[in-house]
Amino acid sequence: MAETLKRVLSPGRAAGPREDMAAEVGPPLLLLGGPGSGKTALLFAAALEAAGEGRGPVLFLTRRPLQSLPRRTPAALDPLRLQKIRFQYPPSTHDLLQLLCSAHEARGPAPFLLLLDGLEEYLAEDPEPQEAAYLAALLLDTAAHFSHQVGPGRGCGLLVALQTQEEGDSGDPLQLSLLQRYFPAQCWLQPVAPGSGQRCFRACLEPGGLGPRAEWRVAFQPDGEMTITPWPTQAGDPSSNQGPSSGGQP
Amino acid sequence: MAAASRAVTLPAVVEELLSEMAAAVRESARVPDEHLLLLKFVFGSSALQALDLVDRQSITLISSPSGRHVYQVLGSSGKTYTCLASCHYCSCPAFAFSVLRKSDSLLCKHLLAVYLSQVMGTCQQLSVSDKQLTDILLMKKNQEA
Repeated sequence: MAETLKRVLSPGRAAGPREDMAAEVGPPLLLLGGPGSGKTALLFAAALEAAGEGRGPVLFLTRRPLQSLPRRTPAALDPLRLQKIRFQYPPSTHDLLQLLCSAHEARGPAPFLLLLDGLEEYLAEDPEPQEAAYLAALLLDTAAHFSHQVGPGRGCGLLVALQTQEEGDSGDPLQLSLLQRYFPAQCWLQPVAPGSGQRCFRACLEPGGLGPRAEWRVAFQPDGEMTITPWPTQAGDPSSNQGPSSGGQP
Repeated sequence: MAAASRAVTLPAVVEELLSEMAAAVRESARVPDEHLLLLKFVFGSSALQALDLVDRQSITLISSPSGRHVYQVLGSSGKTYTCLASCHYCSCPAFAFSVLRKSDSLLCKHLLAVYLSQVMGTCQQLSVSDKQLTDILLMKKNQEA
């Protein structure tokens, strides 16, 4: 859900009128990055952001319970927000497919944001293109069904994280281009040279033709706290990005 | 029957063609020859095969009390294929091969038949229970004969 992710990445924009933002669901978004690049943290932050909007529940699917809750600010761990996030842990691809195919059988209010962490683990079970397309298409179909249930003028967003190989390139170009058919918007997380004790990543959002590309700097402190700042807009000078931490304003 | 909104859209020219066809059908209950020609130009032999499937009433819209729905198409071989309503996915081998693997085609003939039947308003309808819809979506593979 490109819009929710953008709001997480640019909290200052939340000053705008809520109604405008609530109406935009945005296309399904794929969050890509190597191991440890902050995908789970960002996904979780998006879930908290959405839960805080009070529009209804948020469904977070992942193979294993989060080992520790990624931190952003103390306010973000408001228990009321956490209660709005429904976690489910399908252990296998078969269980995930079963969950998605039976999503319409569930009672209660439909979620307005569906998140999935670790798509690569579910895809690894059967690397056939048709199976990958089937899983991606079912994710979209489930979100479409929830959209139908939450009502006209609103919708259910879809945000999925996929781990790629360590060094930027994804392992299987065919699989990636196949996924891009179903996820027109992508956000890439790439490591950049760290500053003092932090791990830093460049988050590059490509909204799939529905807006300009945008970039942010995501930094993780040693204690796990995540800070996000807009990527400095000086044209391509890597040395200017190596200074310490937050407030990288030009 | 309005075209279902799709999360992943077809190229603009195809979307435009389909909506022009829908307008023509609403007005005069038939599809103008120019549209059929354009369809054939864009989709090649799949266009004729898809139109044939529509003529033979081979497409069924299956829905359940939940409101979720899916399409099934009875192929020329007698096999039934399942097509998702919200995005491009068909369980047929041609989809896996020509569309996904080789990117030769935009759509398989079954998906094209589904979109054409939406435009032309000709589609069998079937109601099933929520549980049965789950099974259909799971596309449990039948034993090969």
